[in-house]
Amino acid sequence: MSIVDLEAKIPNNVGLRDNKRLTMALEKWQPKFLDWWNTVGPSDFNKHDIYLRTAIGVGQGGWAHFDYVKMPDYRWGIFLADGPADRKIHFGDQVGEAAWQEVPGEFRNRLRRLIVTQGDTEPASVEQQRMLGHCCPSLYDLRSLFQVNVEEGRHLWAMVYLLQTHFGADGRDEAEAMLERHSGDVDNPRILQAFNYPVTNWLDFFCFTAFMDRDGKYQLASLAESSFDPLARTTQFMLAEEAYHLQTGENGVGRIVKRTGELMAEGKDPRTVGAIPLEVIQRYINFWFTGSMDLFGGEDSTNAAESFANGLKGRYRESDGIYKDPKALNANYSLEVPTEDGKIEKKDIPLRRAMNAVLLDAYIADCRRIVDRWNRDLEKTGVSARVYLPDHKFNRHQGIYAGFRFTPQGELIDEATWTHKHTEWLPTQADRDYVNSCMVKVTEPGKFANYIAPPAQGVNNQSLDFEYVKFH
Amino acid sequence: MTNRLCYVCEGGDCTEKGSGDIFDKLRDLVKEFDPGEERIKIRRYPCFGACEQGINVTLYPDKVFYSTVTEADLPEIAAHIKGEGEPVTRLTGKCQPDVEQIIWDMLDSPY
Repeated sequence: MSIVDLEAKIPNNVGLRDNKRLTMALEKWQPKFLDWWNTVGPSDFNKHDIYLRTAIGVGQGGWAHFDYVKMPDYRWGIFLADGPADRKIHFGDQVGEAAWQEVPGEFRNRLRRLIVTQGDTEPASVEQQRMLGHCCPSLYDLRSLFQVNVEEGRHLWAMVYLLQTHFGADGRDEAEAMLERHSGDVDNPRILQAFNYPVTNWLDFFCFTAFMDRDGKYQLASLAESSFDPLARTTQFMLAEEAYHLQTGENGVGRIVKRTGELMAEGKDPRTVGAIPLEVIQRYINFWFTGSMDLFGGEDSTNAAESFANGLKGRYRESDGIYKDPKALNANYSLEVPTEDGKIEKKDIPLRRAMNAVLLDAYIADCRRIVDRWNRDLEKTGVSARVYLPDHKFNRHQGIYAGFRFTPQGELIDEATWTHKHTEWLPTQADRDYVNSCMVKVTEPGKFANYIAPPAQGVNNQSLDFEYVKFH
Repeated sequence: MTNRLCYVCEGGDCTEKGSGDIFDKLRDLVKEFDPGEERIKIRRYPCFGACEQGINVTLYPDKVFYSTVTEADLPEIAAHIKGEGEPVTRLTGKCQPDVEQIIWDMLDSPY
């Protein structure tokens, strides 16, 4: 079991006290991080006391502590999950060899790119969500937003630790650059397009955490299998925190769907009482789910094949031994491919080249589960309407379906049909204006805006009317 | 090495209900007769989606999905794992079949 140093300037279980050079580098970066937080983070809420969970260790029981904290005082720490000292590589070409404690020279650039791409998403989402606190539907939800924000900040710390520890001057430059790019910045945007989308209301936020953070879960899970042991252990611990973010989104969209269903069951038009019609919610689901799928990369990808072969990224839960061949050499993956003459054909590709598609399949199954859950809640309200998950080919801008037009049901259509119909499938400006108009700020403990149902339970066994954020 | 696998849910709801302790205690019980994980691996799993029925524990390839698991149930579950008992049927069939199927689909991976 690693030793957790909570008294250090930067809480950690990576022995920072014994590494003066690294400590100096991180302590030099720390004020720049705080400056970033105070400039483009949720800085309007810096003076409030917020009931937050703070990571204080890596054990399953009692790894976190809850208390009131002002966000700038949050103890952003560096924690790696404990693992066996003799961990072995369990997939790819080097199965059975010792996992790497240092970056192999031949994989240096590829690993750095993976870490930077992952790391860049962490501050990006904080920037995207920075104004939402001004229109929170409840204190409970406001706390959830800030919990997600501070933990995304900690995940940035996790990636910066890896860069500064293992990538020398290049890593230090990359750590600086992650604070210089900004979401939606025309001149210096975030690396992945979906992290430049505006998040202007709480339906956006909950869809973001339900779908985009769920993509993050699968990306982190594939890195948690990595042969580069520090990366694997870092991302394993990040997954423990990320689970709450997914739950926030899954429950948040579910609560909005449920409230709409309740109002419909009462014979009310949601638009007349400040709630969100199901067809609008559906368009938001369509937008965020499809944008999230683009983050997985091409379905047929030599890069993905090389990352798997080299042992950098594994399949979901690879270390559980659930796959038949840890080298993935003797199987094909059947891919639906659009043809120039407007048809869809099945095409077999080597499994290694389909690693992004395999991960995407697991993601889609997970998303199908949450939509089914929302529909069960909708069914309980007594209305017959349902929401659905669009087909994986719909509205794609990356991968083999980019450049083609599909309906949400997966039917290949021409450009003219798309132009005529797409406003039925994706949020329009009128939708955004309407949803934004529903965003009333509710800060009385135990009260909720009319477009969202209360959650089933409070945080950390607290009641729903607990004062999760103190404004004084 | 066995392909038998037990997952204990560590999703938000299950964690709040104490799945961390359930994981630790079940692992300790199983270690008594299987210290080297030769019969079964016990692992944490992010979320099965059966949150209302938590704490959830699955066994594969048995395809037994236990719900509402408490500490008091663990000796029976451990006995089932050991091969000295039947599945604890009072803890099965509580969640939606389609939710169960998602985890079996993943574990039945053709790859």
